[in-house]
Amino acid sequence: MSKRGKKVGSTLPKRDANVIFSRRAALMSFVGAGVMGAILFRMAQLQAENLISQQYTAAADENRFDTRIVPPPRGVIFDRFGTILAQTSKDYLVAVIQNDVDDMEEVVGRVATILGLDSEWARRAIIRVRGGSRYEPQPLKEGLTWEEFNAINVRLPELRGIVATSADVRAYPYDVVYAHPIGYVQKPTQRDVDLALEDPAAGAARAMYLRNPQVRVGKAGLEASMETVLHGDAGWRKVIVNARGVEQGEDETERREPVRGSGLVLTLDHELQRTAMQNFGEQAGSAVVMDIHNGDMLVMASAPGFDPNLFVNGIGQADFDAYNLDEKKPLYHKTVTGVYAPGSTFKMIVGIAAKQAGVEDDWHVSCGGGFYYGGRTFRCWQRNGHGRVNLHNALKVSCDVYFYQAALRAGPERIAAVSRQFGLGEVFDVSVPNIRAGLIPDPVWWRENRGEPWTGGLTVNYGIGQGAMGVTPLQLAVMAARLGNNGHAVVPRLVRDAPGVREPGPAPRMNGIEAEHLARVRDGMFGVCNEGGGTARRAGDLQLVRHPETGAAVEITPETRGWEPVQIAGKTGTAQVRALTDALRGRHYSTIEWRFRDNALFCCFGPWHEPRYACAVVVEHGGAGSSVAGPIAREIMRATLMRDPSRREPARLAELDAAIAGGRA
Amino acid sequence: MTASALSSSGSNTIFDRFRKLNWQIITVLCAIACVGVMMHFSVSSGAWTDMPLTHGIRFAAAMSVILIAALVLDARFWLAIAYPLYVGALLLLVAVELFGATRMGAQRWLDLGPLSLQPSEFMKIAIVLALARYYHQLDARKTGTVLWIVPPFLMIAAPVGLVMHQPDLGTAMLILMAGVVVMFLGGLLWRIVAAGAVVAVGGAIFAYTSVLHDYQRDRVNVFLGITDDPLGAGYHVLQSKIAIGSAGLFGRGYLQGTQSQLDFLPEKHTDFIFTMIVEEFGLLGGFLVLGLFAALMGLTMQVALRARSLFGKLAAAGVAATVACYVFINTAMVIGLVPVVGIPLPIISFGGTAMLTVLAAYAIVLSIDLHRDQHGARGWLW
Repeated sequence: MSKRGKKVGSTLPKRDANVIFSRRAALMSFVGAGVMGAILFRMAQLQAENLISQQYTAAADENRFDTRIVPPPRGVIFDRFGTILAQTSKDYLVAVIQNDVDDMEEVVGRVATILGLDSEWARRAIIRVRGGSRYEPQPLKEGLTWEEFNAINVRLPELRGIVATSADVRAYPYDVVYAHPIGYVQKPTQRDVDLALEDPAAGAARAMYLRNPQVRVGKAGLEASMETVLHGDAGWRKVIVNARGVEQGEDETERREPVRGSGLVLTLDHELQRTAMQNFGEQAGSAVVMDIHNGDMLVMASAPGFDPNLFVNGIGQADFDAYNLDEKKPLYHKTVTGVYAPGSTFKMIVGIAAKQAGVEDDWHVSCGGGFYYGGRTFRCWQRNGHGRVNLHNALKVSCDVYFYQAALRAGPERIAAVSRQFGLGEVFDVSVPNIRAGLIPDPVWWRENRGEPWTGGLTVNYGIGQGAMGVTPLQLAVMAARLGNNGHAVVPRLVRDAPGVREPGPAPRMNGIEAEHLARVRDGMFGVCNEGGGTARRAGDLQLVRHPETGAAVEITPETRGWEPVQIAGKTGTAQVRALTDALRGRHYSTIEWRFRDNALFCCFGPWHEPRYACAVVVEHGGAGSSVAGPIAREIMRATLMRDPSRREPARLAELDAAIAGGRA
Repeated sequence: MTASALSSSGSNTIFDRFRKLNWQIITVLCAIACVGVMMHFSVSSGAWTDMPLTHGIRFAAAMSVILIAALVLDARFWLAIAYPLYVGALLLLVAVELFGATRMGAQRWLDLGPLSLQPSEFMKIAIVLALARYYHQLDARKTGTVLWIVPPFLMIAAPVGLVMHQPDLGTAMLILMAGVVVMFLGGLLWRIVAAGAVVAVGGAIFAYTSVLHDYQRDRVNVFLGITDDPLGAGYHVLQSKIAIGSAGLFGRGYLQGTQSQLDFLPEKHTDFIFTMIVEEFGLLGGFLVLGLFAALMGLTMQVALRARSLFGKLAAAGVAATVACYVFINTAMVIGLVPVVGIPLPIISFGGTAMLTVLAAYAIVLSIDLHRDQHGARGWLW
């Protein structure tokens, strides 16, 4: 081997490995130093770039800061005396942090067991939750009772990933009682977002706000129509988040507190509203009580009600179906959207129109139970007839034959004109959505819409408030109020005190309505409730007397002997919902299918000696006005007159809002 | 000095040898490990969790073992086991290829009951020792001939090929670079060095830019691990550059790095720990840590220069080069100078394998330094 080495060595240049190593090691060290220099230079360069452009600082800030919208507390809704009807309260809920859960099916199943929910609920909840953040709590079930909340809480140690927490939620403490006038809030829909985006200026920001899961917007009733007043201004928090978006802290210097929405003071009186709703029982319909001087609505009841609290966090399909498929239509705001034939309650209008047409008080009609006109017989409800009746008696006994003929004397144009003066067919803006006008037909309308000439038969039917015409319970109350206040065009209102709402001036006198005509009709209405033969003799007897000194209405007791009675004047109405066949006619109403039964109506005002309140009641398919709507109106009027809310000091929004804000701070 | 030349390990007692250990290197290693513990404390958001404790204990244990190894085993031992170690490591790599376990998408692990081995880590040391051994015995004049380039070339190519196939680009590159450096220091002729460099760089650039279509280049990127997840890799480097760029001269402060503490920076406990150091301690902190590594490499090169035997020189320099490659590739990667390959920052990044590899290499360096005056045998076998 050494021999061979020498041989090779002789042909190759002499090289010393150690020298080569030293030289090359030095060279390598320089290269290493150069590489390290390049790395240091690059680091310094990154920072120098940042010194000029701040790009990396900005990017780091964008990473860690997130602006979180803080929805403002919604304005509180009060009744006229300050009772809270809608407010923000604590909602207890159970949520899941998906990242902390090992077995989703198992843990959600256990939550379902604790809450007494089925596996179908658990399956749906898992699907819903999967769409959300893995690291932030996703609600499984909201609206827990305190007991349910505690049941979850004590088992939390064995429910990894489950959290029990609370959140602000809109709450309606009297649920069904104010479901229609106040309505409810809900999560904004995609349609709300799309609508917001149509505004080029602020649309994008608004849409982003609406997508915030905590935001609720008004979807029905005053909550919807007064959204801008109630909502308030959103605040924001600049929070520090980690890469998974979970909040780690907050930059409090950048915080903007939300501004609470303004409250609303309604004209409603909670005591009376509740009385009205209770008196409907299982029946469907609507009741309105109005102050005949300033138009304050003290009662705005629509029955049956629904629970608006169910809608706040999204109503379940089963609950919604139960409401939506109910033939009594609980979701329907009957007070302003229910349109009914007024039936005999329309006879005051016909009476005034007839008086305007020159019908004298001593103009008598002989009622034999029917009126033959145009080739057919128009029947009176009293098949045996009323005999000789004048206007007063015709109203008192609600004689149809008299008003068939009175209508022919007045003519359809005049009837329509008087109707409109009394508010029928008019849209009264009482601040809730979807107010309907109803329909007051006249020959012009008839020709334009039905394409055929008006006939005398239509006029005859007009006389008893049947046919194409339709009015809302609200319009019926306005009519009663304008009769009660002797012909002043009072306008109803629902919101007493809110930003931008001003106290209304005194109602102007209605043109062309003569006091003498009004007096005759009002006397007739008095007769309905207080004279022998009146159709509302029983319903109209309130069993109340007037305190001789204070004038307050009190119940009759032995001590009140000799005190003046408190009386009302009113009118019953029984309106057919469809032309009755002879087969149905005469059958007892309980044997007729509910939806074919007559609508029962009653409108009145009182107290007779110094009218202050008007009331209208419609009971859908209730049967006779005197026996169904009358008694409900009687209870409502009794409560109203005893309570006499218009003479009590109403609450002031400024003080109520200050108290709410103070209580929270 | 003269006494030690007389016998293999001299007449020194263990105590003398302990005193003569290269305490500078040990100090720098400990300092680097301290930086690691400190950063893992920060990774744990300022809590004494498993991570900083494990890191510290692991280092202390490994350091104790290598000190004992350095004291007990002299340079001739390393010379003796250089080839067996290499052959063993190569056989293990083949075994991985045949029976290995696949973890995280790459076949790198050999499951031996309770023990799992990553033979490619052994190879990083084995290649340095084997090539040092080869050039140690080779006549300096022969290093220039083509014939004698073939064995080292094959010695490097075999493990690099096997590791690439796992695929583990980072480790393959480290093995390749360590091998090339040892060949270079061993005396490879300049013209061969130059020719090799030109062919490698030129060929690679030409193929990458001109021959390949875009989709092919993407495939190559994916295959090489440059973009195994295009969005992911880009995100890592972007977040790393944001952290470094926004850190400033003095950083955001210990435990205050927003990118790191809020988890925007991925892999902050392993491959991207240098970013976290810079974010929290600024450019200055980065300089200091790189300075520690520079000091370590300088001290290691010093060991190489003053070792009497060529084996000692090449082995120590090979270790220095390997560590330098670790550091350079890792730091260049986090600032976006080179593509992301999974190479940790030695002794600082969390993870036992890389730390063990580097410390085992320093057992050799310390041992060589302790026995630097040994000439060592110049034969095939001893």
